[in-house]
Amino acid sequence: MTPESGMASSTIETQAGSLLALGVDHRSAPLELREKLSYSPEQQAELITHLRRRAEIVEAAVLSTCNRTELYLRATGDGDALTPAFETTFKARSSEIDVDGRCFVFRGTDVARHALRVASGLESMVLGEPEILGQVKKAAARAEENGWSGPVLANLLQHAITTGGRVRRETAISSGAVSFGYAVVELARSIFSRLEDTCVLIIGAGETARLAARSLLERGAGRLLITNRGRRRAEQLRAQLPAAEIVPYADRDRALSRADVVVASTAALEPVLLAPAVAAAMAERRGRALLAVDLGVPRNIDPAVGQIANVFLQDIDTLEALIERNLKRRRADLQQAQRLIEEEVMRFERWLSGLAAQPLLDQLARHAENLRRHELERLRRQLDPQSFAQVERATDSLVRKLLHHPRRFLRGATGDPLPDRALVRRMFGLEDLERRGR
Amino acid sequence: MDTTLWIINALLPLLYLGAVGAYGLSFFADHAAARRGSRPLVLLALAGHLAYLTLLTLRWQQFPAATVSQAVSALAFAVALVYLLVEGYGRSRATGVWLLSVALLFELLAALLRSTAPPHFERFESPLFAVHVSLALIGYAGFVVAACYGFLFLRVYHDLKNASFSTFFGTLPPLEVLDRMMAGALGCGFAALAGAVASGAVWAERFFPQGWQSDPKVLITLATLAFYGVVLALRASGRLRGRPIAWASLAGFAALLFSLLAVNLFLSRLHGFR
Repeated sequence: MTPESGMASSTIETQAGSLLALGVDHRSAPLELREKLSYSPEQQAELITHLRRRAEIVEAAVLSTCNRTELYLRATGDGDALTPAFETTFKARSSEIDVDGRCFVFRGTDVARHALRVASGLESMVLGEPEILGQVKKAAARAEENGWSGPVLANLLQHAITTGGRVRRETAISSGAVSFGYAVVELARSIFSRLEDTCVLIIGAGETARLAARSLLERGAGRLLITNRGRRRAEQLRAQLPAAEIVPYADRDRALSRADVVVASTAALEPVLLAPAVAAAMAERRGRALLAVDLGVPRNIDPAVGQIANVFLQDIDTLEALIERNLKRRRADLQQAQRLIEEEVMRFERWLSGLAAQPLLDQLARHAENLRRHELERLRRQLDPQSFAQVERATDSLVRKLLHHPRRFLRGATGDPLPDRALVRRMFGLEDLERRGR
Repeated sequence: MDTTLWIINALLPLLYLGAVGAYGLSFFADHAAARRGSRPLVLLALAGHLAYLTLLTLRWQQFPAATVSQAVSALAFAVALVYLLVEGYGRSRATGVWLLSVALLFELLAALLRSTAPPHFERFESPLFAVHVSLALIGYAGFVVAACYGFLFLRVYHDLKNASFSTFFGTLPPLEVLDRMMAGALGCGFAALAGAVASGAVWAERFFPQGWQSDPKVLITLATLAFYGVVLALRASGRLRGRPIAWASLAGFAALLFSLLAVNLFLSRLHGFR
C-alpha cells in the first residue's frame, strides 16, 4: 500500500467521486530519485493515457518540474485509484519510492490546499519563487488541451493560478531578490533611476559572471561590456549574450568611466580592479555613482575602492545579507499568505459543493415546474388567453423567487454550513417522487 | 468668523496627521488602502489650509504673516504644497511620510502659538508685500523640502556604503532620484527666495528708504542665497554631486531655521513680529 505522509483530511464527496494528489518534491525525495521520477510532456501524455484506461480515474493532470512531480486525480470513489496511480507513476520508475515518507498523498480539501500552496510558492525550495506559477499554468493548459482534466481539475488548477497571483500581489512572499543575480539588480535599482540607462561591465566570463549578466539584462540593463583575461572565454560568454560588447582586458580600467555597474568574478589571486583606476574613472564620471560588485574569492576588487566617494562596493557577504533580509520579509508574510490560501480553499470548496448540488437543484427545479404546469393546466379552460398568459408569467416569477434562496443555500453561496442533501430531498418530497418514477 | 478660524486651526493638525498616518502606513506596512487614501488626504489638508489662510486674510484685512503663528502656518502650507508638486514630478510617494511630518510639525507649532488678534501693519496691505512674503515662504519651503531629501539621500547612501539594509533600503526612491528631487527643490527655493529679495527690496525702498539694506534679516538672507547659489552652480558644473549637496541642504536648513526664528524674533527691525 502506498505510504501516506500523515496529511489525512476530510474528503469532499463530489457528485462523481473524490480528489486525490500524490507526488514527490525536494523535501520528500533526494535529487537522484526526483530525476528518475520526472516526466517530460511526451511521457506525461503516455502516463495519463495509461491511467485514464482505468474506470475509476475520471480526470488527471501532471505537474513535473526539477523540484517536484505531482499527479492530480479525480476518482469515482468506487474502487482504489490511489494504488494503481502510485504504481504506474512512481513505483514503475523506481522502487526507492517505497521508502516511508518519500511520496506524499493528499485527499479532498487537502488536494486543493496543496495545489494552491504550490502555485503560491509556499512549497518551493526558495519561498515565493515565481517560476512555479508559470509551470502550474503550463501543466493546467496541457491537461486541458489534451482533454485529461475535466471541470473539477481544470477549475482547481485555474483557482490555484489565480490564488498564486493574489498571494504574490497582496503579500511580500515574492518580493525582494533571493539569488545573487537579482540581488545585484536590486542594488543597482536602489542607486540608478532607470536600469535601461545603465552600462554594466562584467570582469570575468565564468558561470557566476554569466548569471549576474543575464539577471541584469533580463531586468533591462541598457548596455553590457564583457572583459576577460582570456579572450576566447569572453567570446564564449558573448555567444550566450549577443547584446554584449567585448572590451580588451588591458582596457578594463578605461572602460570603467563608461560603466555604472561593475561586476567582477574571476579566479585571479590578486585584485583586478585597483583604487587608483577607479578614482580616475570617477573623476571622468563627474561624480556619477558607481556600483562595484565583487563576486570573487579571493576578492577581485581592492577594498580601498569602497572608500572612494559615490562608489558603492558590495561583496558576496553583502549579497548574502541582502538575500537573507529578503527571505526574512518573505517569511514574515507567510502567515498572511496562508490565511489568503485558506480563504481561497473555502471558495473552491463552495464551488465544488455547488457542483455536487447541481443534480439536486435540477430535480427541485423540475419538480417545481411540474407542479406549476399541473396547476396552470387546471386553469387554462377557466381563463381567457390574455389572463392565462399573465398567470403563467406570474407563477413563473413566483417559482423563481421561491427557489432563489434555496439555490444559493445549496450551492454554499450564502456562507452558511452546507445542508444534508438527503434531508433537503425529504423536505421537498423528492425521494417519494423518485420512488414513483417522476 | 473667529469661531470658524479657531475650529479650522484645531482641525488642521489633525488633517495633516491623517495624511502623515496614511503615508506612514503605506511606507512601513505597504497598506493598500492607506496608499490609495494618502493623496486625497493631503489634498484635503491643503484645501482646508488654504481656506484657513484665506479666512485669516479676510478677517484681519492683511497678509497672514503678522505673527510667528501665522508665518509658521503659512510655511507649513508651502511645505505641503511643494511636496505635492515634487511627488507628482518624481512619481513616488515613498517620501511623503517624511516631508509631510515636517508640515505637520510646523502646523502643530502654529496652532500652539496662535494668538487672538495679530498686530495690524499698514505695510501688510500692500500687494507687493504679499508677493514678497509668498515668494519667501515658497523659497523657505523649497529649502525645507531639499533638506528632507538630503536627509533621506544620506540615509540610503549610508546603507549602501556600509552594506547595511535598514527599513529605508528598497522603499525609498533610488539615490539618483533623491539627488534630482533635492536639486529640484533647491532650485525652486533659490529662485523663489531670489524673487522674494527682489520684491522685498522694491517694497522696502518705498516704505523704509533708509537703512533697510543693513537689516540683519536681509543680510542673512543674502548670505543664504549666495551659499545656495554656489552649491547649485557647482552641481550644474558637475563638480559637486550627491552627498556634499545633501550636507549643504542640511546646513542651509539650519541657517534657515536660525533666520526664521532667532533673527525674526530678536534681531530684525523690519522682519520682527513686534
